[in-house]
Amino acid sequence: MSSKTGNPSIRSAAWRISLWATLAFALGTMVVFNFLHRFVAVDLQRRSDAWLSGEVEVLGEVAERTPNDALYGQIVSEVAKLAGKELPDKAFSDRSADGSVFFLQTGTDGSPRLWVGAGGGERVLQAIRAGKILSGQPADLAVAGVAVPFRVVSLPVADGSSIYLGLSERDELRVMGKLRLRFFLLWLLINLLGFAIVFLTTRQMLNHVLKISEAASGIGLSDLATRVPTSRRNDEVAHLALTLNHMLERIERSMHQLHTITGSLAHDLRSPLTAIRGQLERSLSAVSADEQAEPIVSAIEELDRLTEFLNTSLDVAEAKADALRLTPSEIDLDELMVAMIDLYEPSMAEKGLHIRLRSRGPLRITADVGLVHRMLANLFDNELKHLPAACTVTIELKGQDQAALLMLSDDGPGFDPEVFPYLFERRVKGKGSHGHGLGLAFVEAVVRAHSGSVSAGNREGGGAMISVSFPVAFQPHAGLKESV
Amino acid sequence: MRLLLVEDELEIQSFLRRSLEEAGFEVDVAGDGRTAELVAIENDPDILIVDLGLPDQDGIALIHRLRQLGVSSPVLILSARRSVDDRVRGLEQGGDDYLTKPFALAELLARLRNLLRRKPVAGNEATHLQILDLELDLLRREATRSGQNLLLTPQEFILLEYLCRNAGRVVTRSMILDQVWGMRIQPDTNVVDVHIYRLRGKVDGPGQSPLIRTLRGVGYVLKDR
Repeated sequence: MSSKTGNPSIRSAAWRISLWATLAFALGTMVVFNFLHRFVAVDLQRRSDAWLSGEVEVLGEVAERTPNDALYGQIVSEVAKLAGKELPDKAFSDRSADGSVFFLQTGTDGSPRLWVGAGGGERVLQAIRAGKILSGQPADLAVAGVAVPFRVVSLPVADGSSIYLGLSERDELRVMGKLRLRFFLLWLLINLLGFAIVFLTTRQMLNHVLKISEAASGIGLSDLATRVPTSRRNDEVAHLALTLNHMLERIERSMHQLHTITGSLAHDLRSPLTAIRGQLERSLSAVSADEQAEPIVSAIEELDRLTEFLNTSLDVAEAKADALRLTPSEIDLDELMVAMIDLYEPSMAEKGLHIRLRSRGPLRITADVGLVHRMLANLFDNELKHLPAACTVTIELKGQDQAALLMLSDDGPGFDPEVFPYLFERRVKGKGSHGHGLGLAFVEAVVRAHSGSVSAGNREGGGAMISVSFPVAFQPHAGLKESV
Repeated sequence: MRLLLVEDELEIQSFLRRSLEEAGFEVDVAGDGRTAELVAIENDPDILIVDLGLPDQDGIALIHRLRQLGVSSPVLILSARRSVDDRVRGLEQGGDDYLTKPFALAELLARLRNLLRRKPVAGNEATHLQILDLELDLLRREATRSGQNLLLTPQEFILLEYLCRNAGRVVTRSMILDQVWGMRIQPDTNVVDVHIYRLRGKVDGPGQSPLIRTLRGVGYVLKDR
């Protein structure tokens, strides 16, 4: 698997991780910005409020001291205009649009006495009347027809009139807007960058994990010599690979031990069996009368059964441990089945059994010939031993996708429901069975060793059915080489 | 015929030696690989029986060594393993044979004879086999007894041909399965017996002296005398 093309599952995992990480980061930075934004906004308002309070006091003083004559309005408006030129945050202020500052003086009855600012000031007056502006306390004032609210401070003058000084919050809002825009762009950039970094790192790491899992899934059956890829980095994934390799080493060692044990067990039992069988055969050739020969003959037959049992138990044990040694070659199941039926047909006919083969021609698989022969002999022996007379055994062969299916069914009494759940276990046999109870366990062992599957059951219309599936292109790994 | 038996188990060694001597072989025995090498060079045996599990070395290694030393006689390998490993398979292709323990003596003898027969090139085989009054036409695949056609199925003909080729010698059930059906299996049912029974029904007609004899616990023999 190349890391460039990427594996869909890896990509989705990397996407998921980076998406969540980025989301968490984005939310976090958003909270931090919100806090900063509020801080800046409060600070800006404090500065404009300070300016307003200072200016309104100056204006109040001017209004008090200036005699109330024709020049009063001119003087006060000049001062008010001058004040407007000393705005806070000049750097951000946009002079071109006038009307950022207004000055209003109302008489004791609340009627306007003096207005300095853009427009006539009636709307401002209306807004002031509608709202409640406490003297000396800056407050927000929304004026109808003007988009941006004003910050207004009022001051009572000694002659009973009130003066109002208003500062548009336009500049403040513009500052905040610029700040927000810049932050947003920065935030976007950081998050995209973070996403990319997290995604790439995660993908790289997961690719390594994928390689490990691919290597690990290839290990099994009899191939334990392979190791998963390790990296030079000293991170958790590299550690995982090392741990896996250590584990594989231990498994390989115990598997080797199992081979040695079964090997020596086989050897230790076989030698005396050989000697006993040889002696029996020799004594058999020495006697002439049938009555004398009989016990010797049955002893030899028992010995052969014992040998077969020993062989099969060891095979089943090794197959259960995925340690069966295979020598695969190509087999035509159709041809083999014809030979098998040819071999078993006379015995079946003798018992009154019929046998039928349904096949659509050659069906080739790669498998260990010896084991498949013995497996089929087991299945046929089972039928031969357990079926009552006049039954029919049907064998069906067919290729399906990448598997070869072998279905063996009969119209006999079927499997004993008592042993049904344990059909493939060792030492399980039906009532009245004289076998060693390894038949189906052995069948399953052989099929498993070839990465196939086997199932057994009773047919609806009565009778047993065993279905075996072999992969067509079975590729065993190089087995363990062990010394004899 | 001079035979070298390389086997370390004394029990097996002794009964094999006696049986082989009774079968007409002149038997030398070696208990380990080193002795085997010396004896093989000195006596130049016609055939060897080598057990794979020797105390001092691996049997396969011994066979390769002997080949290097110029011993070209065929070898019958005795293995305590039921699964045949690739190295044995290689030797088998090279003209040697193997047998797993425990084995039937008859089978051991039959395999030895086969190995010895392989040695001179078995080229121009006869097209006819005749055992007493039984005649087999190997080309037309027909068998007659006392001039009467036996009407055998193709499979029965192959079985009878195998028995005739080993006439006078015991063949075991597993030998029949191996040679006639090409399967190394040990069915725990009487499949081979039924085939022989059917064949016998055709070969040994009423009133004729039976040719196919059953040796219980051992196998079958086709009488040639």
